[in-house]
Amino acid sequence: MTIIKLKSNLLDIFPDDIHRSTLINDNEFYIQVDSRSIVKICTYLNGELGYALLTIFANDERTLTGKYAIYYGFADRKKSQLIIIKTEIAPTAMSFQSISAKVHAASSYEREIKDLFGLIPLGHPDAKRLVLHGNWPNGIYPLRKDYDLHHKPHFSKKETKFKKITGEGVFEIPVGPVHAGIIEPGHFRFSLAGEPILNLEAQLYYVHKGIEKMAESMSIEKCFYLSERISGDETFTNSLAYCQAIEKIAGVEVPPRAEYMRVLFAELERLTSHLGDLAGICLDVAYGFAAFQFRMMRGWTYLIADDLCGMRFLRSVNKPGGLRMEFLESKEKSLIDQLMKIKKELEDTVVIIKQNTMFIDRVENTGILKSAIAFDLNAVGPGGRASGISHDVRKNFPYAAYDKLTFDTPNYVDGDVNSRMRVKLDECFISISLMLQVIETMPKGPIKESLPKLLSHQVAFGMTEAPRGENIHWIMTGENETIFRYKIRTPSFCNWPALCYAVSGNIVPDFPLINKSFNLSYAGNDL
Amino acid sequence: MFKVIKKILQYPRLTQDYPRKAPDARLFIGKPIIDQNLCILCGECVRRCPSTAIVMNQALGKVGFNYDTCIFCTLCAEVCPNAAITMSNAFELAEKDRTRLRASTLVIEDRNVPDQSYEIISDLLREKAQKVFGRSLSIREVDAGSCNGCDYEINALNNPFNDIERLGIHFVASPRHADMLLVTGTATRNMELALVKTYNATPDPKLVVAVGACACSGGIFKDSYATRDGIDCVLPVDVYIPGCPPRPQAIIYGILKALDRI
Repeated sequence: MTIIKLKSNLLDIFPDDIHRSTLINDNEFYIQVDSRSIVKICTYLNGELGYALLTIFANDERTLTGKYAIYYGFADRKKSQLIIIKTEIAPTAMSFQSISAKVHAASSYEREIKDLFGLIPLGHPDAKRLVLHGNWPNGIYPLRKDYDLHHKPHFSKKETKFKKITGEGVFEIPVGPVHAGIIEPGHFRFSLAGEPILNLEAQLYYVHKGIEKMAESMSIEKCFYLSERISGDETFTNSLAYCQAIEKIAGVEVPPRAEYMRVLFAELERLTSHLGDLAGICLDVAYGFAAFQFRMMRGWTYLIADDLCGMRFLRSVNKPGGLRMEFLESKEKSLIDQLMKIKKELEDTVVIIKQNTMFIDRVENTGILKSAIAFDLNAVGPGGRASGISHDVRKNFPYAAYDKLTFDTPNYVDGDVNSRMRVKLDECFISISLMLQVIETMPKGPIKESLPKLLSHQVAFGMTEAPRGENIHWIMTGENETIFRYKIRTPSFCNWPALCYAVSGNIVPDFPLINKSFNLSYAGNDL
Repeated sequence: MFKVIKKILQYPRLTQDYPRKAPDARLFIGKPIIDQNLCILCGECVRRCPSTAIVMNQALGKVGFNYDTCIFCTLCAEVCPNAAITMSNAFELAEKDRTRLRASTLVIEDRNVPDQSYEIISDLLREKAQKVFGRSLSIREVDAGSCNGCDYEINALNNPFNDIERLGIHFVASPRHADMLLVTGTATRNMELALVKTYNATPDPKLVVAVGACACSGGIFKDSYATRDGIDCVLPVDVYIPGCPPRPQAIIYGILKALDRI
């Protein structure tokens, strides 16, 4: 449905509820609606039209309009359009209608808004705390503008209440936040009867650092470095989403060579990340040979990164307006050789692991994420693509030079660990092929464009396909080239609830395997 | 099976011989250094540093780096109008004393370990510890609020390239089996209690190593409502490894430094 048709459609159905609408940045359609009609409009967009809910976030706009604003981001993926429903909440009301009962993916967003802004979602089925653990006193709302970034409140002692599963022989296993492996912190509460898991509740936000608050009033240049440090292994893709949003606001065209190089680095990061996940999957079923094969290949991708820019995590490579410097000149030959070496090794290893029936037996039919649940929770990335949701930002919202390159999106329907592993294996080959295409077809020319002075209170989305899936950043600029609001929604935020569904019915020893097959970032979720 | 054996024979040894042999560091981006003769004290780098790691001493007419806070982003080298700052390739930066990493004086908040006696015992037993550990060491890694960059680099210590077990060092699943805590991240508010509990669960004598800019000083995340300014606000730290993230060799260097093997 085109924007014009959608607009007339909405005006027909909800004549009294829509205040005004504007189209900016070519595909971001903002519709301001009355706060009382938010449920029916969101239900219409999500339920009737099938637009996926990408994000919900609040913004303290009291200094601008005297009110809080809540934005509901929906996407028409077939038409590459974003439909953003905006509603304003008066400071006297401090509450809004929850849409979680109708749009299930909304649940965590609304809890997040409740914790960080103190706006109460009315009618939310389970509005307990999400970001702030029991040690935070009541009445602390960090993302309000009048909250001081440096204020550290006193420690209170409240217990976190987990969902209780009752019945004969039902018991709980608490795991974490410090785990046995070298991974990030998170607390998992399993409820079991015998071996199979009845319910898993994940308490995250142990690494909540307040990134969104820190970004506010930071200069645009400094905030770029913050965006690189949202999630270590997604450095480049996060910085790219940030740069995209800033470039949209500035109205700058990035030089073509930089667009191609960005694809190269983004795919290198995806390859590195996927090889690490595959190694993890093999290690978690004690398949040492394959794990070390993948670790060796991952080591090689780090060597490529070191060769290209001297930074193993591709930090300080990007820059709003292009890239920091020319990284590729006279390195094309050795890069092609290294990529071919990885490709050959990967092909050999895939043949070996697919013939290992004991290994396939462990991964097949383990941790099934059903397609309907994946759609309801807006599961993204390899997690979604293994469950029949063939959505890929590189195809649906093309950025950088992806529209000039040819590639497929792998799609499997079983939703088990095996499917996710096969998606990742396929994507490794796709990444290598994309990098080779880039080296072949990349034009010569400059690699950065200088930015003009940015106006205040301009907004834009930045969207990229991170190794873990759809990555969405939203920026509103402030006075004097600063950030007013920086909303980050990484793919991990969408996929954590999906993971909790995928493990139910499986046995506890399979949990690390299922967890690794999603490989979600705690840092990217907790911010 | 034949294919597996073929593969194993194909790559007999990938492990780099660090620390015996220095790696080829020509391409590494290490710590920034400043040529005081070229510096015109314009203060551009001080203003623009994302993690406020650069300090200017007006009285001495000197610009210096706090390497415990530096995130190695190369911006200072880029913006310096007189090209006084360059990125060196020095990556072996770990120090036992945090003041040696700093140009400005250090102020640490009051530490909040509930049971102070552990710290005192730890200090008394430090000398004995070296004899007890000998050349073998068990490490427990704790992420106390990193961006997961440091954790991936610690993970890389186990890959075929670094293979830290060849140095008699291995990672264990529980703090109760550990001699050393390898801590990454700023010590976030939500993780603080878990970090202290992990420290208390580690038997004495024990060592604590802070990995990365966040763990050393808070890095780019310092002074937020939800974080502390580095691990040493919470625990006594033996060695600080700067870097964002420090590369695996830099972490090996820091671990060996804690054991007095370098």
